[in-house]
Amino acid sequence: MKQKIFIVAGLVLLMIVIVIMLLDLFSAKKADQSNPYDYKMGEIRKTDSTHIAYAELITIKPSLEEIHAVACGAGDRIYVAGKNGLEIFTPEGKSDGNFGFEGIASCIALDKKGNIFIGLQDHVEIFDQLGKPLRKWKSFSSESLLTSIAVSDSYIFLADFGKKTVYRCMPDGRLINRIGEKDPEKNIPGFIIPSPYFDLALGKKGELWVANTGRHSLEQFSNDGTLNSAWGEASMAIDGFCGCCNPSHFAILSNGSFVTSEKGIERVKIYSPKGEFLCIVAPPSAFIEGTRGLDLAVDSKDRIIVLDPEKKQLRVFVKKN
Amino acid sequence: MPKPVCVSPGLTVTPLRKTAGTFMLTASATLLSTMAMAIQRFPKPEFESAYTQPQTQIPLPRGEFLAYLDVFVLFASLCLITWLVLKKRSRFWVFFMSLFSLAYFGFYREGCICSIGAIQNVSLALFDHSFVIPLSVIAFFLLPLVFTLFYGRTFCAGVCPFGAFQDLFAFKPQALGSRLNTVLGIIPYLYLGLAVLFAATGTDFIICRYDPFVGIFRFNASFGMFLFAGILLLSGVFIARPYCRFLCPYGVLLNWTSRFSRKHLSITPKECIQCRLCEHSCPYDAIDVPVTTKSPETRPAMVKKMMMLTILVPFLVLIFGYTGSRLQETFAGVDSRVKLAKEVLALSKMQDAGNKMQDDSYEIKAFKASGKTESQVYSEASAVLKKFYVGGWLFGGFIGLAIALMTGGRMLPVYRTDYVTNKGRCFSCARCTDYCPVKS
Repeated sequence: MKQKIFIVAGLVLLMIVIVIMLLDLFSAKKADQSNPYDYKMGEIRKTDSTHIAYAELITIKPSLEEIHAVACGAGDRIYVAGKNGLEIFTPEGKSDGNFGFEGIASCIALDKKGNIFIGLQDHVEIFDQLGKPLRKWKSFSSESLLTSIAVSDSYIFLADFGKKTVYRCMPDGRLINRIGEKDPEKNIPGFIIPSPYFDLALGKKGELWVANTGRHSLEQFSNDGTLNSAWGEASMAIDGFCGCCNPSHFAILSNGSFVTSEKGIERVKIYSPKGEFLCIVAPPSAFIEGTRGLDLAVDSKDRIIVLDPEKKQLRVFVKKN
Repeated sequence: MPKPVCVSPGLTVTPLRKTAGTFMLTASATLLSTMAMAIQRFPKPEFESAYTQPQTQIPLPRGEFLAYLDVFVLFASLCLITWLVLKKRSRFWVFFMSLFSLAYFGFYREGCICSIGAIQNVSLALFDHSFVIPLSVIAFFLLPLVFTLFYGRTFCAGVCPFGAFQDLFAFKPQALGSRLNTVLGIIPYLYLGLAVLFAATGTDFIICRYDPFVGIFRFNASFGMFLFAGILLLSGVFIARPYCRFLCPYGVLLNWTSRFSRKHLSITPKECIQCRLCEHSCPYDAIDVPVTTKSPETRPAMVKKMMMLTILVPFLVLIFGYTGSRLQETFAGVDSRVKLAKEVLALSKMQDAGNKMQDDSYEIKAFKASGKTESQVYSEASAVLKKFYVGGWLFGGFIGLAIALMTGGRMLPVYRTDYVTNKGRCFSCARCTDYCPVKS
């Protein structure tokens, strides 16, 4: 009896092997279409909810066809620019004006007088609050793509993705010097910018910070181009920047902390002035997968305005109590 | 006449088997630890830094002399195992020889090249003259057959890594009986027929595709492959060497040639004393017991049987050949060219019907990128289908012939006075020699 059980067990197993072979050989199933080299982002996109310290307060829906750049001005008014125009909103999200221009705005900033500097592909155009054109700078280069602009008391700083450099200019458009280009003698590694997201911002003392996305770091330069400090780490973990090139955008809070946004794993985070991870403003689940170009702005109350180009929204986040 | 000794049909666990078990546990632990070492890698990009991209390295092919070294090792192994089986008659040394083969041809050479798979190379080379077959492959195909023709299946005894691997798991081998052995014995013919059919038509190398152990030899088996091998090895606990006996296509060729072997392993070196000690010693049911009663076959009865066989053989060849030809579409469905044609046709129909298109499969993308026209794809598929029509006839005819000859073999009268090894089925493992009290 025992012998028969062993034989039956052995035969059943052998038959299973043969049936598997036949089914695999003759079944009409399609070849596996999955890509074994795909990044499995599911686990990485999961976020510890205890890290989320901000909540979305207001959602603003601009009427522009495309939105690309956001900035905050006097009275915490929100300026959003995109294809062929600019819109202004009150801090509460109500429309407060708009005007049109030709072209796609890729970056925007305001000076103390309230003049609006708009980066349009390879040049800058300056408008007043009512949309009256004040000045138009000449093109930097036919290869230029201006991706960020910052205005200090004396200078205008521009990030040019096409030339992988930062320009320091006078308000009339005269170029003073280039910053951040590779210089081994000064120990400047140069900008590694694989995708057209190249941001810069001014700190609370007017110091220039630039995102060197390919090196996953933020670098601080003097006006003469000296590299003073840098922070940032490439990592899939929450405290680092991942993918080819991040952070795609950043802004600086009143206490000197950094707000960063990333693509690939879409998220907005806050780092201390020393570059230590502090908290999450918006986790990947807050965005449509594949969203790129989460431009950031910060108002005087440290509210964080996130431009969401996929949803075509300006999303205002405030710290939870 | 000595008193017969009752031997259990299932073999007991010997120290040799315990050693084998320990070896397998160690091998499994090593395999699992290798899998556990896999970690996610985060490549930091260096697009424009000072880092210089290294030149793309194309690994050189394996040195030609190493291929001939493999042939030499095969030849030397065959010589040694044949000596161990026929002269030394030592199961102990045969076992250690099989461990060497498992280590060299299995784990070091990663199961490739192997004589079993060489069937496909030879088949393809015979039907497609643009396919160049290396001399080493021909040697791997022919050497075991030549040795078998002279000395029996000594290759199976201790040179084939598949056999050696399965031998380690034969803890409770059971006798299956003559009928079951005959019925299951048809499967290798089917496998051989299909392997040759698919190789000759340039469709697939199914012996390699369904090689159960190569993933283990290479320590890279997917879960499915591991499970597949695991089930086969588990069945091998009760049915010793299931792959060799009931699947191996090369075993069919070895079986044929071994029947004509001049010096095959004998259970006893001298005269059989009918002690029956060896009766249940073979885990592969390859010992033929004496049939001392002569069947009362009259001449007319024999003539009648021969006439029946004369009718049966062509009848089965035709019936199975016809069935094989009717299966041409099923067989051709395995071919990638036919699969592509079906997919292109389905896509074309969907477009005509104005249905919403899904994402193109990799095959369709490759087809679109190739610049081929739909009619070219259809004509290629049609040519393949024609090949399978002829191939189906040949395959079916071969199976019909095998069944007819097996049936005929069972119809013929048998008469033998001693316990002898079945020359076709015996793997020359020399287990039975240990049981024989007669020593040379």
